[in-house]
Amino acid sequence: MIEKILLVAQKEWKIFRRYPSWIIALFIWPVIFPFTYIFTSKALAGVDGAAVDVFQGISGTDNYTGFIVIGAVLWMWVNFTLWSIGGFLRNEQMRGTLESNWLSPASRMVHLLGASFFFILVNLFVMAIVVLNFSLVFNVEFTGNLLLGSLVYLLTLPTVYGLGMLFASLVVWAKEINAMVFLVRGIFMVFCGMTYPLAVLPDWMRAVSRFIPLTYSIDALRKVFLMEATFADVRGDIMMLLLFSVILVAGGALAFKFTEARVKESGSLGVY
Amino acid sequence: MQGQIIVENLAKSYVRRKKGLQYLFQKKEQIPAVKNVSFTIEPGEIFGLLGPNGAGKTTTIKMLSTLLEPTAGRAIINGYDLAERPAKVRETLGTVLTGERSIYWKLTGRENLIYFGTLYGLSRQKAKEGAQQLLDRLELTDRADELVESYSSGMKQRIALGKALIFDPPILLLDEPTVGLDPQSAHKVRELIEEIRDEGRTILLTTHYMQEADRLCDRVAIIDNGEIIALDCPQVLKNKLEEKKLVNLTVNEWRPEIEDSIKGLEPITNIVSNFKEQEGIWELGAHLRNGQKEALPSLLDVLYRNGVQVQSFEVVDPTLEDVFIHLTGKSLRE
Amino acid sequence: MTWQDYLRAMGSIFLRDFYVFTRYPFNAVFRLIEPVVWLAPVYFMSLGFSVEGQAVGFATYTGTSDFMAFIILGAIISNYISAVFWGIGFSMKIEMDSGVLESNWLTPQPRLVHLLGRTLFNVLITSINCIWVALLAYYLFGFSWGDGIGMAVLTLLPMLIALYGLGFILAGIVLLMREANTLIDTSSYLVSMLAGANFPVTVLPRFLLVISFALPITYGFDAVRGIMLGTKTLLPLATEQLILVLFMVVMTVLGAMVFKVIERYCRRMGTIGYH
Ligand SMILES: Nc1ncnc2c1ncn2[C@@H]1O[C@H](COP(=O)(O)OP(=O)(O)OP(=O)(O)O)[C@@H](O)[C@H]1O
Ligand SMILES: [Mg+2]
Repeated sequence: MIEKILLVAQKEWKIFRRYPSWIIALFIWPVIFPFTYIFTSKALAGVDGAAVDVFQGISGTDNYTGFIVIGAVLWMWVNFTLWSIGGFLRNEQMRGTLESNWLSPASRMVHLLGASFFFILVNLFVMAIVVLNFSLVFNVEFTGNLLLGSLVYLLTLPTVYGLGMLFASLVVWAKEINAMVFLVRGIFMVFCGMTYPLAVLPDWMRAVSRFIPLTYSIDALRKVFLMEATFADVRGDIMMLLLFSVILVAGGALAFKFTEARVKESGSLGVY
Repeated sequence: MQGQIIVENLAKSYVRRKKGLQYLFQKKEQIPAVKNVSFTIEPGEIFGLLGPNGAGKTTTIKMLSTLLEPTAGRAIINGYDLAERPAKVRETLGTVLTGERSIYWKLTGRENLIYFGTLYGLSRQKAKEGAQQLLDRLELTDRADELVESYSSGMKQRIALGKALIFDPPILLLDEPTVGLDPQSAHKVRELIEEIRDEGRTILLTTHYMQEADRLCDRVAIIDNGEIIALDCPQVLKNKLEEKKLVNLTVNEWRPEIEDSIKGLEPITNIVSNFKEQEGIWELGAHLRNGQKEALPSLLDVLYRNGVQVQSFEVVDPTLEDVFIHLTGKSLRE
Repeated sequence: MTWQDYLRAMGSIFLRDFYVFTRYPFNAVFRLIEPVVWLAPVYFMSLGFSVEGQAVGFATYTGTSDFMAFIILGAIISNYISAVFWGIGFSMKIEMDSGVLESNWLTPQPRLVHLLGRTLFNVLITSINCIWVALLAYYLFGFSWGDGIGMAVLTLLPMLIALYGLGFILAGIVLLMREANTLIDTSSYLVSMLAGANFPVTVLPRFLLVISFALPITYGFDAVRGIMLGTKTLLPLATEQLILVLFMVVMTVLGAMVFKVIERYCRRMGTIGYH
């Protein structure tokens, strides 16, 4: 099983290398994407940081650049996962190989896990590049407990990929991946606090943001890396991430099984 | 002249380069796809370009329809010079390229026809009327307002034909109009093509089905490796072979050395073989020089001596396929 | 073919895009809520720096504390930028992949008609979006069109036309590279950002500021804000307007030329429909 997963990951890597535009998507985008928000925040902070005190009062840190980098990096991770894992089945469907692959004995689940494994590696690499870029080139300071940060990351993993799996099945039915990705990532962008402290949200929006796992990850990582939080400070976030992991992974697997059953039953879901 | 196509020494070489860094440094490699092709198609004629895969048929059609720039040579279409008046040429040319995707799948059949009609210069009103008439004629009226994506291949092909017909052009260029269609749909399309010709239009079509060329075309140019190797009415082409009798056999096994020894027989000019996977048998076609029936015993003798079992045997009249085999020594389908 | 034929053809292309648009319902819905998605993150970000709704730090850069008005103007303009970029480049890529591009180019319409035509629907959708963003902004933030609107539109018109020239070049590149998504996404994002869609360009580090000053679009954003919000402009207003007019002349000529050359090259190579 593990072996098979590794094999699939290797195959994904081979396919991946053939598309040079992915290089831009992967290595240029993550670096330029946060810029808009960073420069905007710089303008908002004012000449000589006139309004930084205001920001610190609301968010708890004066490192507004680091604040945004963390939010943006996590959001980009979800975005990337929606495209790659979410598009995984859809691409097969467009190529017309979905049915035949699904009807073959090798479990599609193994396939998806293999692909996920590959994309996790890619994403870790990208995150490292982004963080290095901002800390070395732009002098953004990240301090705090790396171990605790890793724990939060590990707990975020299943939520992100569970969501990806759920999304993958959804796209097979809705058949419009672009719009679906735009919609889901848009909701995340508006609600998860990518660029702002949750305290500024109106009550109803804050209520919505509680249903998004990414909210907790971003919040926890900011506390860990910008405010030197301890385990006790982020315990609430960690519990919520655990809960979401269980729900999303189960939901993703169920949706996947359901779609698989439908494919096997009807033999086809149509292509376009 | 209206409805006439004159092609003189038309040629096209593609430049092939490697991708990536080598792109910058590599020498360009010229690959000839069409070599000095000349022919004249008279108004009201169905003219066929018959040739195997990669012969240069599509390349020729694309040059004539202004999508590709010829490397050399010229063409006069409907009295307009291809190089000098490309827009005028396009105004009088209905072209259908291969592939189901030459029309919009997210539009209905009717919307496709109206859309292309207006792009060819019809008024919206005219385009609507024309679309309705065509839909009736193409027997698509009851599906006209469904999205093309729900059509069968045959229906898509008919809409693609409709797209080329809607502005009433004197000339049609059709690239493999029946490729990928089931026999029934293909038959329908062929009937349509004949109807269109009977309205007085000129049709240039490409195909690699020899029966199609035989049945449909008034004249056929056989093209191989970018060169026209024969050009005449199908009947004349076959008549030239007439004194040569043809033998079709099916046998249970086949080896290259048998082929060699048969080729060594003086009265046999050509032999081609084709393995039928499902039945596990080989189909052979042999051409007899000057129809020498005396050659038959020696042919059978070679087979017998090599332990090959002959399962069927017939002497037949030649087809265009045999013309092709005679000219090139190879079979059309590969 | 007369100019009426060309206009009619563009009308048909517009209708075609409209029909296709309605056949992707999710996408259609998304296009309408899109503005909220790009405004919300910056709006809430500004709240993080605001005292009683006034962006006090922002005022030290621009002379106005009305951050939202600044952003909304920027967003509206950058939306037109991406409408032209996507309208030309992306739709062409889709058609190239599927083979309908050849069908279109078989018609007697000049390539220019096809290129222009395919932006029309996008520009309309963008305009609808902008109007509704302005309405939303009016109700939420009390944003109102000042007296400068006429002048602002006049200032932007040459820029919009210049963008078409840029779009033609982009179309040529798409033809050549057979790739669109990343290309357009990245270029329209970078251009919008560096030209100051979301912030006064003076916050940029020096090496980026140089690029920003070299982009004529920067002066479009700047001039419109100067006119409508009374912010201090980078150059005198008249100079900025002159730059935009020059930009228009240069880009339309250059765009048409570059596209023509590339299109001819593709016709020679046979790379329009060949996979
Ligand atoms: N854009 C291109 N660049 C390089 N070579 C090309 C290009 N287009 C076609 N060719 C080559 O030119 C030759 C002729 O191709 P063409 O498509 O005209 O053949 P065809 O007769 O239409 O074949 P088919 O029956 O397969 O459609 C082939 O060898 C093909 O590989
Ligand atoms: Mg062909």
